[in-house]
Amino acid sequence: MICDIKMQAVLRESVGEYGDLVTRPTGRAVRERIERTIAAPEADPLIARMDFAGVGCLDYSCADEIVAKLLRDRVRFLLLVGLTDGHREAIEPVLQGHRLAVVIQRDDGTLDAIGEAAAGVALLRELVERRMARPTEGGAIALVAA
Amino acid sequence: MTRLVEVPGQFDDRTFDAFAAAFAAAAAGGERMLFDAHAAEWASPYGLVGLLAAGQAARKNGSERPLLTAPTNPDVLSYWARAGFFQEAGELFEVHGKVPKIKPATASDVLLPVTPVRAAEDVHQVVSNIQQRASAILASELLLDPKATMGFAMALSESCQNIVEHAGTGGWVAVQSYHWRRKLARRVVVIAVADAGVGFRHSLEPTQAKRFGDRWGDGAALEAALINGVSRFRDPGRGQGLAGITRYLARWGGKISIRSGTARISVVPKWDDDVPLKEGLAPFPGAQVLLIIPEQGSGTT
Repeated sequence: MICDIKMQAVLRESVGEYGDLVTRPTGRAVRERIERTIAAPEADPLIARMDFAGVGCLDYSCADEIVAKLLRDRVRFLLLVGLTDGHREAIEPVLQGHRLAVVIQRDDGTLDAIGEAAAGVALLRELVERRMARPTEGGAIALVAA
Repeated sequence: MTRLVEVPGQFDDRTFDAFAAAFAAAAAGGERMLFDAHAAEWASPYGLVGLLAAGQAARKNGSERPLLTAPTNPDVLSYWARAGFFQEAGELFEVHGKVPKIKPATASDVLLPVTPVRAAEDVHQVVSNIQQRASAILASELLLDPKATMGFAMALSESCQNIVEHAGTGGWVAVQSYHWRRKLARRVVVIAVADAGVGFRHSLEPTQAKRFGDRWGDGAALEAALINGVSRFRDPGRGQGLAGITRYLARWGGKISIRSGTARISVVPKWDDDVPLKEGLAPFPGAQVLLIIPEQGSGTT
């Protein structure tokens, strides 16, 4: 149900030794690699979980090329984990510009949405309706399928 | 005949317009240029990358490699060498004067020596190089939140990408930290990016000129790019880089200024007395971008 993507590994495979997700050509190369992964017969493209742990700088160009374009054209749900404040700083305005949202998973496993507010609320509601997430006792939302 | 272009004694964004005027006058003749920096006393990163852009344009313009007389003051000469200027200038100019053989970026104030930016790989290298050095300076000297380092790298990346994506030629970037006594009496970090490429007006003309009608020009193009987030690409995700830089600088009381063609646009913080838009300047090719982040404290934001 969830296609796991380690961004640091994809970055290395795409551009070699660099540890930062910067520039449009890099973003394009990374996105195309992710697109091939989620298009594989054994993958389910409904949710792609992208782990940003180990990624240094993420700039707006890369956030747009990867996150916004995958959401716009390829997957319904993007679940982002391992985000730093710096990563969020790049992703949030890009999503708002496109009126899109993604789900983020906090360290405690609960979910939140970032990006355009209404799109975020709709995303979380849809996850619950599809029984892929459920409300927790504390009033948060957590993923059902790990 | 050789046309003389005097390099201002104090060469920064404030004196760049006089330099551009001298350059434009000399370029009109189409003859070989001599950039005279022998009396230079100080140059900001903006001055250094701007001078390289002038050399690039002078070569494009015509025939022979332009001449450059190096500063005679040994301290100035040494700084220009440490800042990596001569490493790049050697390819563009026939340099006259005794240039010291100093490895660039050995000094703590030079966060990033003058570095060429031609392709995406160069931007990767720049971002990778700056992060470690910048985080210490931003936190300890500018008193910025350590989290601000990532935004700084982002701003640097997006500034450099303007060259790769829009200039149609290569350019240069330099980052330096220094104590800005004259203006702020506190430390600043300055990012300067310059190229002698097509400039904002030419880049945006196919998609924007009609929309602006008679108002179209260098000023309108800069306004479209910096204020309205317009890009030459029709993809809706484009044009966010400059907006992101502006947001970052606003948070830290910083300044962005872009000169292209005959105009300069700035987002002016409280501590500065620059004008938001200046038109009718002497023409200078390409685009020259200046980002200034001041030491945090009262009066900066």
